[in-house]
Amino acid sequence: MADHQTLGEVLSSRGISRRVFLKYASYTASLMALPPAASTAIAQGLAKARRQSVIWLSFQECTGCTESITRAHSPSLEDLIFDFISLDYHHTLQSVSGHAAEQARKAAMEENAGNYIVVVDGSVPVKDNGIYSTIAGMTNLQMLEETTSNALAVISVGSCAAFGGIPYANPNPTGAVPISEIVTDKPVINIPGCPPIPEAMTGTISYFLSFGAVPELDHLGRPTAFFGETIHDRCYRRPFYERGMFAKSFDDQGARKGWCLYEVGCKGPVTYNACATLKWNAGVSFPIQSGHGCLGCSEPEFWDRGGFYKPISTGIGDATRLIGGAAVAGAAVGATSAAMMRHRKKKAMQEG
Amino acid sequence: MKRDAQAPCMTGQTGMAHAVMNEIAAHLEKLAGRGEAASIDLRSLPMTDMDREQLEMVLGQGEVSAVIELAGLTEVRETAFSGVWWVRHMGQDEQVAYEEIAITRIPEILKTQLDDIDMASRRIQQVIESSGRNEFEKEASNG
Repeated sequence: MADHQTLGEVLSSRGISRRVFLKYASYTASLMALPPAASTAIAQGLAKARRQSVIWLSFQECTGCTESITRAHSPSLEDLIFDFISLDYHHTLQSVSGHAAEQARKAAMEENAGNYIVVVDGSVPVKDNGIYSTIAGMTNLQMLEETTSNALAVISVGSCAAFGGIPYANPNPTGAVPISEIVTDKPVINIPGCPPIPEAMTGTISYFLSFGAVPELDHLGRPTAFFGETIHDRCYRRPFYERGMFAKSFDDQGARKGWCLYEVGCKGPVTYNACATLKWNAGVSFPIQSGHGCLGCSEPEFWDRGGFYKPISTGIGDATRLIGGAAVAGAAVGATSAAMMRHRKKKAMQEG
Repeated sequence: MKRDAQAPCMTGQTGMAHAVMNEIAAHLEKLAGRGEAASIDLRSLPMTDMDREQLEMVLGQGEVSAVIELAGLTEVRETAFSGVWWVRHMGQDEQVAYEEIAITRIPEILKTQLDDIDMASRRIQQVIESSGRNEFEKEASNG
């Protein structure tokens, strides 16, 4: 594929009309809660764009983020993202290895100086000069600094890259830090989650390609299109919460009837993500629909918040401060928590 | 076509179909009065299967329906209310990726894009030039 051609020209040469951009754009606009009119602008932007060089760096991570993006919702549609980008370096997906792989990274940096995007999954260990994770003889810290030095923007995918994640959890033996603590001189977009929702990753990249700009971000650097509301805001079990109908254990009548999982530890009220609307595994379900509370994986320090099965109101670090002393007492809880969440949201928007 | 698996309490009618009908009515009034098109993203609404079935039943089937085969099927059909279109984009395995009600004279996805027309215009000239007059005469006599 010739990289000097626009994406429209590339697809035309394969006999594919520009309707494909409109179809993909409608889908992306819906994902990002943009007005329907935006789909035309996205389609035009994509058709005129050139393939975007992307260098994907994997540091202290489990490859779950890559697993997620390669299992996007609707393959024939979502796979288009791989026509729109030139994935020039990716440990798991590239066919070359060793010196040839590192050469590919350096060549992409040189040929696209100032215009390539760096996607990072995993946190970076900085303790003891970063010796706890190395690639091709370089520490993660060295590789990140070298690769981002001439990048256009950085996208931190997954909670490890965005907030430190599990490597950052107490006692953080490797001195892991999130990417935003190291890269401070260019835009860093955080797409947290363990793993992130694939559409949140592809949607953000598509937005960037279409408009040549970073989408609106919240105070934690997350695109508001995907992280603007809590799981609780859009949860189909919320009516039970408002009525004070809670499962008390995972095998009681309340659980069987699909009541709210707040009392068995659901972190939905303090977790900003789109699981309740986009869902997982080809839109089949999400944790709460499967009967398990939200773990809060897209929030900072989710691993150290005191216990996945303790209600927020019993005290779980930061979440206690967010929700305050809201007692688990039916409708009154709903009103109190909802008001506090609105306050938090307003505050976050002011800070953002 | 596959739908999301639904938990037991995600079934039943919630009144959402009625709410969407009211929204469609408001948009249709604007389309009739000012020519202002709009669309409603069904995917973003917490509708149950029964809500969708109810909405489909009330909107009914109009005169036009089309299928586009492009990165998965796309079905476009006008409902029994002129100017109200049901557009359903699917990916592989007939999984619904995006679904909208478009209130417009004709959905954008059905229109041929200008760049494609430009490309076709150049391509047809090339076909004519490379085929030559004799080829067309032969075709005509065979036909």
